[in-house]
Amino acid sequence: MKAIIGIGLVLSLLIILPSVQYVLAAGDEPGEYLDRRLEIWGLFYRLMIVAFTVGTVVSGMIVWLVLRFRESNPKATPTEYEADGKW
Amino acid sequence: MSGHSSWPEWVYIGVVVALLCYVGAEAWNVERIVEHVPADAEIIKVTGQQWLWTFEHEDGTKEIGELHLEQGKAYKFEITSKDVIHSFNIHDYVVLLDAVPGRVNTVWFSPGDAGEFPIQCREYCGLIHYNMRATLYVENGA
Amino acid sequence: MVLELHKPRPIWQIMFSTHHTDVGLLYLITSLAFMFMGGALALILRLELFAPGTQVIADSMTYNRIFTVHGTTLIFLFILPSASAFGNYLVPIMVRFKDMAYPKLNAVAFWMIPPAGALIWLGFADFTWYAYPTYSTISAPGPAADMWIFGLKILGVSSILGSINFIVTIMKCKHPDLPLSKMPLLAWAYLTSSLITVVAVPTFAAALLMLLTDRLGASGFFNPVMGGDPIAYQHLFWFTFHPEVYILVIPAIGFMYEIFPRFSRKPIFSHGSGVTAFVLLALVGFASWAHHMYATGMSFTEKTVFMVGTLAAVPASAMHTFNFLATMWGGRIKFATPIMWAVGGIALFFSAGAGGVVNSAMPLDFITHDSYWVVGHFHLFVMGTILFGTVAFVYYMFPYVTGRMYNEMWGKIHFILAFVGTVMVFFTQHILGLFGMPRRIYDYPPIPEWVQMNIIITVGAMIIGISMAIFLGNLIYSSAKGKPANMDDPFGLGGKYYFPYQAKTPHTEGGGYH
Repeated sequence: MKAIIGIGLVLSLLIILPSVQYVLAAGDEPGEYLDRRLEIWGLFYRLMIVAFTVGTVVSGMIVWLVLRFRESNPKATPTEYEADGKW
Repeated sequence: MSGHSSWPEWVYIGVVVALLCYVGAEAWNVERIVEHVPADAEIIKVTGQQWLWTFEHEDGTKEIGELHLEQGKAYKFEITSKDVIHSFNIHDYVVLLDAVPGRVNTVWFSPGDAGEFPIQCREYCGLIHYNMRATLYVENGA
Repeated sequence: MVLELHKPRPIWQIMFSTHHTDVGLLYLITSLAFMFMGGALALILRLELFAPGTQVIADSMTYNRIFTVHGTTLIFLFILPSASAFGNYLVPIMVRFKDMAYPKLNAVAFWMIPPAGALIWLGFADFTWYAYPTYSTISAPGPAADMWIFGLKILGVSSILGSINFIVTIMKCKHPDLPLSKMPLLAWAYLTSSLITVVAVPTFAAALLMLLTDRLGASGFFNPVMGGDPIAYQHLFWFTFHPEVYILVIPAIGFMYEIFPRFSRKPIFSHGSGVTAFVLLALVGFASWAHHMYATGMSFTEKTVFMVGTLAAVPASAMHTFNFLATMWGGRIKFATPIMWAVGGIALFFSAGAGGVVNSAMPLDFITHDSYWVVGHFHLFVMGTILFGTVAFVYYMFPYVTGRMYNEMWGKIHFILAFVGTVMVFFTQHILGLFGMPRRIYDYPPIPEWVQMNIIITVGAMIIGISMAIFLGNLIYSSAKGKPANMDDPFGLGGKYYFPYQAKTPHTEGGGYH
């Protein structure tokens, strides 16, 4: 688990550092001002990619679970708890 | 309590936390960039009131319901309200900040494109909130 | 206690009763009535927004009043009382006690709701359910505004009293052989949401009082002319109402913790994980309130702190989702109406949460604040998760309350129409917000994309409306003429209806109160 969080942090840094470089070099003169629209919408699209990727995984998982474990599925078998009626 | 936590759940939580760290870091960085106000930004005083917007340029020029700016220059809005809370919004330029009576909020931007852009109110302020509009005119710099 | 329409008990017997099942029934009927009323208001709003220009609402003030009462009704008069309804029915059973800890106080807490509802509906205030000053203090017309304030004051007290009752019942009255750690997750849901209530709601009670004295001119807490700060109200308001959204969602998640295991025919994947997730959510939920205030002119550091607090609550919700999916895995699921609603609810819960993570990113607030993105986002929570979870539980508890079965085919049609409608309305609203349409507006300029999306949304809303009409019909008809249910196992799952705490009602053999 720690490894995964570690990897996550490293990945975050790898993505941020190039942006930070950009900001340190950003100009304060006309023609070099940062465009709010680009920055903010850019962030939006990046987060949308993450959200839709996770969304596809989760929704796909739900659809698969519903289809595979419905009682009318030919492969359906009673759960180990059904014998005692205890769940 | 059911026994020990299972490893799939821990992996899942690890992935979730990693993604959230990414979101947080990215958001923090973009906010930092966006809040860095250029030193030579021209100050425009924006006043919201029920139900119109008025503007005052640095040289004293006042405008009601319209704002004329030059393309490519940096502007810093100092926003306040005369009565209730409004919110100054130029959606096409992603400018949005509340106009609060008794305080002045600042946001800066630089209009990259010439043209006409709607200004709207983004905080409920009563009867004509829905039509508390103005227009931003961005003109090509001389 | 139960709805016995063929040989009804005298109405005064139910109304003056303090037995937890009678009070539960009163809460249930009241909350469902307000659900239909508040929902009808939404349909009127959507008819008006079908196209630019005036459609069915003559003026903007009427529109403003309608959306204020719509939100206020559905949050305070539907969601909270419906949670109390099922809590009243089941918490004593789940802790194996004979009633709630304070039965008379229980009835008092319920009876505060009708007068409060009357104040809100007879007043019809216009200042949105937030009631932000300085609009609410210097500009909102009375007496509507004052009636709203009094109504909400009463509702706050009712909530706190109900929560105290749940907490004492669970912590002090539970059976000595039942350790807290083995208590059903639905009971844990009531415990955590009640604890959040008693911590969070008093802050709003204070804010309401300050709002009232400001309106009367006796104080200037939120009036800059008198040295006050309107933003102070927002801090007080959101300190209550961000945790409040967890108060709203936790019982619905609790309902799903009953439904998923039963219909999957296996126990919940991890009881401990569920408990941890509820407690974590309750604690961390207090750390994020000012993410509602990013546009007020907060400093960079303040915004960052609240973004971190917001993101920190996400893993807890993710744990619940994992738990439900892992419970379905390896099960043999009977897809009756209750679990269809629960699965739909979880799918929409995820999308609501994903949108929420996007919202918490501070710069994106410049795009989405006070736009239809926000409307779409929170409705995916309150409609997609909470209403779906609540309706699932209404169907699930229907045999318990009435002794009869609802019509299964119409229940499924209700689900399909409601799910399609919910996606049509609230997903589209996210996009509409990205195109810049503000919320709380009576009319809008004829921007082509806005017009097209508003048409789709209105059609979707009408689909939801039709589905709710079907629901109402099913509820009423089946309560009177539905087939008597097999009280041991109404859904034919093989297990007991309320294992391990078999609940007896007059409809089960042996009858009488347990």
